[in-house]
Amino acid sequence: MVTDLPFLLQSMAWPLVLLLAWFLGERLHEAWQIPRVTSYVAVGLLASLINLPGLTNAVPGLPFLANVALSLVLFELGYRINLRWFRHNPWVLALGLVESVVTFAAVYLASGLFDLPTDTRLIIAALSVSASPAGIVRVANELRSAGQVTERVLHLCAINCLVSVLALKLVIGYWYLSTSGDLLQAAFGSIHVLATSVAVGALLGVAMPALLRTQRIQERDVTLVFALAVVLLTTMSYGLKLSPLLAALSFGIVARERRVHLTNAQRGFGTAGDLLTIFLFVYIAALLDWSEAGTGLVLGLVLIVVRTAAKVVCNVGAARLSGSTERKGLLTGLALTPMSAFAILLLEQSRLYGFGPAGQVLTVMAAMMLVQELLGPLVTQRSLMAAAETHVTKE
Amino acid sequence: MPLETFKASESLTLGVELELQLVNSYDYDLSSSANDLLELLGRKPFPGVVTPEMTQSMIEIATSVQHEHGPLLAQLREIRDTLVTACDRLNIELAGGGTHPFQRWFEQRIFSKPRFEQLSGLYGYLAKQFTVFGQHVHVGCSSPDEALFLLHSLNRYVPHFIALSASSPFFQGVDTLFDSARLNSVFAFPLSGRAPFVLSWDEFSNGYFTKMESTGVVKSMKDFYWDIRPKPEYGTIELRVCDTPLTVERAAALACYLQALCRHLLERSEPPPEEDDYLVYTYNRFQACRFGLDGMMVNPKTREQISIREDILATLRKLGGHADALKSTAALDEIERTAARDGNHASYLRRCYADSGSVQGVVRSAVEALRQGPAA
Repeated sequence: MVTDLPFLLQSMAWPLVLLLAWFLGERLHEAWQIPRVTSYVAVGLLASLINLPGLTNAVPGLPFLANVALSLVLFELGYRINLRWFRHNPWVLALGLVESVVTFAAVYLASGLFDLPTDTRLIIAALSVSASPAGIVRVANELRSAGQVTERVLHLCAINCLVSVLALKLVIGYWYLSTSGDLLQAAFGSIHVLATSVAVGALLGVAMPALLRTQRIQERDVTLVFALAVVLLTTMSYGLKLSPLLAALSFGIVARERRVHLTNAQRGFGTAGDLLTIFLFVYIAALLDWSEAGTGLVLGLVLIVVRTAAKVVCNVGAARLSGSTERKGLLTGLALTPMSAFAILLLEQSRLYGFGPAGQVLTVMAAMMLVQELLGPLVTQRSLMAAAETHVTKE
Repeated sequence: MPLETFKASESLTLGVELELQLVNSYDYDLSSSANDLLELLGRKPFPGVVTPEMTQSMIEIATSVQHEHGPLLAQLREIRDTLVTACDRLNIELAGGGTHPFQRWFEQRIFSKPRFEQLSGLYGYLAKQFTVFGQHVHVGCSSPDEALFLLHSLNRYVPHFIALSASSPFFQGVDTLFDSARLNSVFAFPLSGRAPFVLSWDEFSNGYFTKMESTGVVKSMKDFYWDIRPKPEYGTIELRVCDTPLTVERAAALACYLQALCRHLLERSEPPPEEDDYLVYTYNRFQACRFGLDGMMVNPKTREQISIREDILATLRKLGGHADALKSTAALDEIERTAARDGNHASYLRRCYADSGSVQGVVRSAVEALRQGPAA
């Protein structure tokens, strides 16, 4: 009986923590309009602080589940991307690309102030380009926001994530080349992963709508079918050592272009999506090591300021040209603040596939991730509110 | 404050106002983007007038004063092209139609102008249900008495305009079985319906309006949501029963049908209007809303039942000469095709629903119809 207790505790920890996260999320949202995901992160951080049993990535299956959860979000993000918009308004695409490059350069240069090896600086810069789709999409859905800031944040977030993955894979390729001198390994580490991930996602993006075309289908069924397709894609990515996140994003973008039925999946994948989101944010937060956070605090704060400044400056600069206003440009730049979940999973994935420096980078960036994970969604939420793009009831 | 004086204007001049829907390109739900669009449009001269409406997902456009079908249509097309280009830059889609097929009224944001805030405070959920989209046609009148004469003479033709323009069969996600579900929302307002039967402006202004004002119920003509109302500051009467059609071509045709009809009525060859004409008014109006061109209306003078379609075709036969004089033959041809063969846009949208199987597909058809013109 007594010997069973640790086991019992360990198996109960997860559901209890998730339940607590949900409860806090609802209460704090009601009381002070705190974004729900911020509460989930807070609970995850606390759980990690008191070292709750079972909350580690050592438990098999959890990283996979987290990848599925984030892949669902990336699919949804991809599905909201309107490629035709880039044709009608090339400034938005240009803004996304320039802003990504500027962020990369600024963060790389700023990290030079600290005593870090070059490959670590390159990886930090690559990750800083990304914005967290999970944080942004969730907050936008929660507010039911609509308008230029919302549209731009979603489109820029997708571009940022693509560029970030691209940059990271190139850095990894460079690392393999410089450490082993093995060109084949280097190519495998970067180009193959990029191209095949996109191809697999795109293939599914063509196949699924074609499959759905054969019958009339309800919103609930579309949600289910697309969710299963994302699970399939994540499994395949693990098997083929591809990037599940990149594949899911490509899947979403292509599926949107190829859609015949206009019935979409429910926003946020309905209740199943809610459940996985709670898990994702608690899990990601629990991955962070508090003991490392103190040491990298200054670095973290500097990088946050530099990254945010790069995004804000680019968005303000391009606002008028792209048909928006400087004020909305500023708010768009700020709304892109969240970055953690995507970056952490990307890093975890690289480590899993044998990329040495990944673990070390996670340690260096712990403070940055911690702050952005906790505050990022709040900044996004307040930006969308300031842009008056949120659904307001005045009864 | 007494009712302002009626500014006489040139007889039979036209002005068209259209309330248009802003929808997103993702799932075709209404998109609260009016502010963004107006900001962008404000940077260049606009070929007409564009104004914010009650909710953020609606904009209203108006033409300048027009005399003929050709220039009216040209201006409407120019307005449409300007709007579509701006919307494309902002990833918004633009659509006609009297209702959004699946919007939930409780998710719409009320535009933040004081008058609208006040309206939403007064009407509660009705104000949000008022997220419906209409076409208003102004016809210039040379005198206020002419305005009241036309207003009441037109009462028997109101079902024509409802049936021809109807484009709102879907509302809140379901087929309402009405061709114009939009008008049901309008009728919910306390001051909707018909104008009182008064043929002299003096009596209307100093009698009816002054009495209404003294009750505290109304402050200006804007508080009346009548199907046809006089607009003293423009010197026009305003027909307000039309749904926004899916195309600007149909909108121009409807305006010119009204213009030709007014020219015919001003010849005073038809029996003059009387209070008893209104005995069948709400019945006819219901038939038009519910069944569109297939509705049965009662002729208020002869008390005979006739299908609205037949009555339109019979009326068109009287208007040929007026169309020649007003250079609006093309417009009346479109009205005839609609009544005799193609059907109104409500039936077009129902066909789109049958083809695509989703209400989102209906909105996409509406978006494409507005861009491409009279294919619908």
